[in-house]
Amino acid sequence: MNDQIADGELAVEVKGLSHWFGDQRVLNDVNLKITAGQIVALVGPSGCGKSTLLKAILGTHPPREGQVIVGGKVIDVPSRNVGIVYQHYSLFDFLTAQSNVAFGLKLDSTSWPFRTFALPKWLQLRKQHLIQSQDYLKRVGLEGSAKKYPTELSGGMRQRVAIAQSMILKPKLLLLDEPFGALDEATRESLQMMLLGFYQENLLAKSEGRTPEYTILIVTHELNEAIYVANRVIGLSRFHDQAERGAMLVYDRPCPVFRPNDPQDREKLVAQRDELRKAVFDPAYVKHYGKYVSFWGEVAAQEAAVAGIR
Amino acid sequence: MIRRPIPSWLIYVLGVTGVVVVLAIYAGLSIRQTRINPDQNIFPGLQAFGEGLGEITKVRGGESNPKPSWLSVDLQATYWRLFLGLSAGVVLSVIVGISMGSYTFVEALLNPIITFFAKIPPTAMLAVYMVVFGIHLKMYVAMIAFGVFFTMAQSIYQAVKKDVASDHIDKAYTLGASEFEVIVEVIWKQVLPRVLENLRLQIGPAMVFLIAAEWSFAGEGMGYTIKQQSKLQNMHVVYIYLAVLGFSGLFFDWLLVQTRRRLCPWFGE
Repeated sequence: MNDQIADGELAVEVKGLSHWFGDQRVLNDVNLKITAGQIVALVGPSGCGKSTLLKAILGTHPPREGQVIVGGKVIDVPSRNVGIVYQHYSLFDFLTAQSNVAFGLKLDSTSWPFRTFALPKWLQLRKQHLIQSQDYLKRVGLEGSAKKYPTELSGGMRQRVAIAQSMILKPKLLLLDEPFGALDEATRESLQMMLLGFYQENLLAKSEGRTPEYTILIVTHELNEAIYVANRVIGLSRFHDQAERGAMLVYDRPCPVFRPNDPQDREKLVAQRDELRKAVFDPAYVKHYGKYVSFWGEVAAQEAAVAGIR
Repeated sequence: MIRRPIPSWLIYVLGVTGVVVVLAIYAGLSIRQTRINPDQNIFPGLQAFGEGLGEITKVRGGESNPKPSWLSVDLQATYWRLFLGLSAGVVLSVIVGISMGSYTFVEALLNPIITFFAKIPPTAMLAVYMVVFGIHLKMYVAMIAFGVFFTMAQSIYQAVKKDVASDHIDKAYTLGASEFEVIVEVIWKQVLPRVLENLRLQIGPAMVFLIAAEWSFAGEGMGYTIKQQSKLQNMHVVYIYLAVLGFSGLFFDWLLVQTRRRLCPWFGE
């Protein structure tokens, strides 16, 4: 865990979050802390409440009980502190790739009256926004497609633009809702590499005393992908000893960190995947919900070990 | 085979052929009718059309007090009414359609009323407009505006519901948009091509309402002159007026297509 990012600025805190629809309890007492720079994968069986949790964190559907705190503020409406990338891209059709990426800068840093009544100033600022967005397109490998509309881009390209669009505002947390689900294998792999690259940038920032730029919560159905791209995996499930009260976080463990283009350590992947499958997806395996929730414990143990060595 | 593509040169050839065939049929009818009655004016010939054109474009009044030609007066009257009516109808329908698609409260409030009025033919409402607005400019403007408003508001409302996904709205909020900006910067821009398409489709019906109203109540305008000249069986004038209506319709259509291509290049054809 030497290269994990566990300590540092708290980016997101989910406190005692519960949600229900009528008589149906969906989420029960979900607690989660994510620090700046972590890339966390969320997995769980279909219908377990992943989307409900994501919407609560996004602010579109606040929870019935509990709180989501991002950057010190309680989230009850969507805000620029939490970005999102959906499976089906959600780019704005009427904007080019470059304008799509610059859209957040426009909305976040200027108002409609400013853009209307201070046109020369706005046009000057607009130039800077476009330069900045071009830089972000370059980061995701799309500098040559700036003037193309979303309909002229492939699925993988659109998803890269969507990621750049959300990242340019430097949100405290970026939610990726099954971002690679609709992509072919090769494109999916290249985007996974991109995420691994982000994590390496986070580590570099951390080692230089800067706040890491990318804090990501990625929802995925692919267990291998979850373990491969994230440095921490959490599992949401109702297969536990308090099932009647709704789904809880039943798995929270660190996972191996890969560098882009490093050969995958299949053994590590397989061992953790099997554990994850058993803990989160096996309805017959009833256990205490906290049995596999050990991320912060492992971090503390590691810190104690490091202190002992010193 | 259905939708099998054809070469572009063939598209032009077929288009020209259609026009030539219609002209040939007319010429045949005109020649046949002239043989039966040399003074006929049901299918006038080229010479009669020349005379008709001269008549409707002739400047009236004396040299000291020149007055515009019939065609000029009628075009101005009809298209001013059309412009004002369509402008009012489009502005109103955009505001109401977007509000209905964006706010459930407005949707619940207005949907039954708009659906009801959309079913009443605007020409059937002519009597109401006449009583309320008199037989002046206001009546024509109101008739066209309300004539297109209900149908167009429904279309825009549907476009907002179908073309603007909730994900897009949520995404805009996460990018820092205010509620007003979501409407102006996302919803309006997404439905703009639909508004322009609807406007194209509504020009035809709007002209139908207007010509019908001018036929009944106006003292000038295309509908008025067509009525007067058809009473006198001056078909060489009537046909020219119909051609002017057809060509101006084509022109407006072309103008709107160009506007859509310029404002919404992302929309495609």
